[in-house]
Amino acid sequence: MNNEEAKFRLRAYRSGGQDAGDATFGEALAHADRDPALRAWLAREQAFDAAVAEKLRAVVPPPGLREAILAGARVAPRRAFWRRPMGWAAAALFAGLVASVAFWRQQPDPDSVDTFARFALSDLRHGRHGGHGSATTALQTALANPATRLSGALPIDFSTLASSGCRTLRFGGRDVLEVCFERGGVEFHLYVTPRGDLPNLLGPRALAVGQASALAWQDARFAYVLAGGAGVEALRRLL
Amino acid sequence: MADEAFTLLVDRYYASLYRFALSLARNPADACDLTQQTFYVWATKGHLLRDTAKAKTWLFTTLYREFLRGRRRDTRLTSLEELPATAADLTDEEIDRARRLDAALVLAALGAVAETFRAPLTLFYLEELSYQEIAETLGVPIGTVMSRLSRGKEQLRSALEAQAGQRQVVPFPEGHRRVLP
Repeated sequence: MNNEEAKFRLRAYRSGGQDAGDATFGEALAHADRDPALRAWLAREQAFDAAVAEKLRAVVPPPGLREAILAGARVAPRRAFWRRPMGWAAAALFAGLVASVAFWRQQPDPDSVDTFARFALSDLRHGRHGGHGSATTALQTALANPATRLSGALPIDFSTLASSGCRTLRFGGRDVLEVCFERGGVEFHLYVTPRGDLPNLLGPRALAVGQASALAWQDARFAYVLAGGAGVEALRRLL
Repeated sequence: MADEAFTLLVDRYYASLYRFALSLARNPADACDLTQQTFYVWATKGHLLRDTAKAKTWLFTTLYREFLRGRRRDTRLTSLEELPATAADLTDEEIDRARRLDAALVLAALGAVAETFRAPLTLFYLEELSYQEIAETLGVPIGTVMSRLSRGKEQLRSALEAQAGQRQVVPFPEGHRRVLP
């Protein structure tokens, strides 16, 4: 192997050392060990490659992309039952059951926090926002305050807000209050419904559909969805 | 695939896939679409993959195919592959330049590399795939990957030099300054 052949191979040798055990490079690396000029060339190549690789790693995906991927996969069509590894005889026997289960799984579950978040996102895009009353204004003022952490105790008197003109929606048999507010020139929408028997969430849960994002969480009294168009990270900063 | 396993897969690879998509598509919106589409294809067809150890290569391959589906190949760029390699050794200045420039400018330089070389070069610098896996992902022989890496690096060096030249600030003449309202 001459130096040009060794260089040709070593240009494909990753600077992070992942290819150290690859026999294809073994001979070329040994050649570089013996030849000072080739060794110096390899050191420069590796320094250049490491610098470019580091810059590429510094490129950060936009906020919300991860959540959008996960949300998109959740609505991906499920695998057709005839492609599942089961016999046709068993498929025929259980066809009715499979169909029933499939039908049941497609129904929105009003007790699901995800469904609540989807409901909020749908309302965000298509709803007619607005609301009035002194209680609503006081809550809007608190929400707009940069010092207010939404995951802390919010001044929410649900029945007073509902009866004094705060926008109220219905979701799964529950009342939902919706309050619009601005923080740093960005518009957000907070949806609040009594916790009731909604299943326990381990932590805030994000959802993104198109340009709109939502973040759902709970406390002892209420389930909340914060929604807006500025991405999930912007929502997280308010919690 | 269970939700947890899918989430792990997304967490492990979505950033690298996005970077690969960004280098191919050269704009963030298309890169997001490509990345999302790749995982969407996984969610619908990933169960067909028998060897789960191949998931990484499968994802990069799918993203590349989705990109190719979106546009016709540029034959002019392909013909550049036939040019002989005449790489001079790297200078200290070139290495310093790569270290000094910010990530956006390095990415822009990578975007200026002909696509035939840009795809393997980006995969190489992401350091996720070996040269064999890059060959598998792009559907080309191993020797072709090595050849494209050599030529791609040459183009990248020229592009970085061009980026650094554009970055040099020329002072605005004193008499032409004005205060913005």
